[in-house]
Amino acid sequence: MEIEEDSLALDLEEIEREFPENPLEFFRGKRLCLFNACLERYYPGVRWGIQDLLADLNINAPTCTNQSCCSGTFFQRNLITRAQFAAINERNLNEMNHQADIVLVPCNGCYNSLLRGRDFLKSNEVKMKTQEILNQLDTTFKEDNYPDKYEILEKPNLKLVHDLDFLYLIRKDVVNSLKFDLKGFKVAVHYGCHYLNLSRDKKTPEGLLKDKTKLEELISLFGGEPVDYQERELCCGWGASQRIINLPESLYITYRKLKSVQNVGADFILVPCPTCLYTLEKPEYRKGIANLYNEQFDIPVIHLNELIAMLRGCEEERCITLRRKTPRLEEIFESVTNE
Amino acid sequence: MNNYSDSDWNWEFYEELIEDVTENKNIISCISCGKCVGDCPASRVSKFNIRKIIQKVLRGDKSVLKDSDIWYCYLCEKCKKICPSEGINIPLLIINLRNESFKKGFGPRFTDLRKYVEMAERFLTSGIVVEEPLGEPLSQQRIDEINEICNFARIKYVFKASKKKNKKKE
Repeated sequence: MEIEEDSLALDLEEIEREFPENPLEFFRGKRLCLFNACLERYYPGVRWGIQDLLADLNINAPTCTNQSCCSGTFFQRNLITRAQFAAINERNLNEMNHQADIVLVPCNGCYNSLLRGRDFLKSNEVKMKTQEILNQLDTTFKEDNYPDKYEILEKPNLKLVHDLDFLYLIRKDVVNSLKFDLKGFKVAVHYGCHYLNLSRDKKTPEGLLKDKTKLEELISLFGGEPVDYQERELCCGWGASQRIINLPESLYITYRKLKSVQNVGADFILVPCPTCLYTLEKPEYRKGIANLYNEQFDIPVIHLNELIAMLRGCEEERCITLRRKTPRLEEIFESVTNE
Repeated sequence: MNNYSDSDWNWEFYEELIEDVTENKNIISCISCGKCVGDCPASRVSKFNIRKIIQKVLRGDKSVLKDSDIWYCYLCEKCKKICPSEGINIPLLIINLRNESFKKGFGPRFTDLRKYVEMAERFLTSGIVVEEPLGEPLSQQRIDEINEICNFARIKYVFKASKKKNKKKE
């Protein structure tokens, strides 16, 4: 059987058609779970922000159990094959399929990996090799009371949705839950390559040509002013681990991005991905840029889930973990919550 | 300037690549418009030039496997999105070329691979790439499964190399 194209991505338009007044109703009665992105370790507000919001909306969303890293980092450097990457992906999908109907993904990299792993199974050769690997798991671990059998999910019930798409879909409920607003704030957005350049969006002329503007629309709904800048679509500089491999070159990309944001006078950068957040805000990288280009950037970077938590009045530690010492984050936090 | 003549042309390399990844047959429809280069972050900071890489592949010029250029790709997929031709998947071509480069013994610089040691070790011993998870760690059984999946993968060699090195230090 052929793997259906994009069978995993949640059909957002269909939900908007069926539940035009309150898309949140679509999710009621369904089992949700949150994909664990490795970098949430550094930014726990990314997870807690959405988990607390959902709890207030009476939707239970535990984290995925038995799920590993998406392994995109290793695939992108040819340290695992396409079939091994697809097998790690299928193992995760099998586990999630037991647990949930819908999985919310907080990271562009993980989201792209999950879709790409499935995409590779459209090649019969990769699919066959992936199945062999999964069969081997069954053989190797059978004697150790191996509890599950992993198989390529031909027609999974499971659907994936990126946190940004989900939060945009239920934006009315998000806005209603806010205690504070962004009045007086100018916000620059950074979507991240693996959200902006998803190949499935190329299938329609609209998908190819239209700017993606969900973050800007959310900022307006929150009372802030989205500001455009020249390098809006430029990569954050992570570049599939280029930050680790070719640091000075990669810092130049981040420098161009930050410089462009600074030029338009934004108060902070809003991102929907913890990897972009890490790359754009890590103090060590900011210092590297200052050393290379003799320019100091102190603009804070905030993940959408963290921002929503902040606007909902969550405690500091729970929503943005000020410990992370991002430049001027504390200032933004106090300014937002003192209105 | 074009460094090739028509007599240099051969399909051997192109066919080898397609044998590995069928989808790469589509690069034949590249019209050399250069949109991919104009919007490419790697082209801003290195000699990475996808238009030239495709040209080399189609000309059968395997020197592309030795060039460090292919290791500069950011895999941001912008080129794939803006390419006006149908079905050209440049990031996949780059991964394909890197794989061939590994197989032929060129590969990335050794010092670059060493930068993956820590992440490889974390992934194979705890299933994640950071020091510890936020929440419950994976059980040993699940970690064993990941190791089984990664059997014979390069990630294992990176991991083993780090272990040997640590042993020597002791």
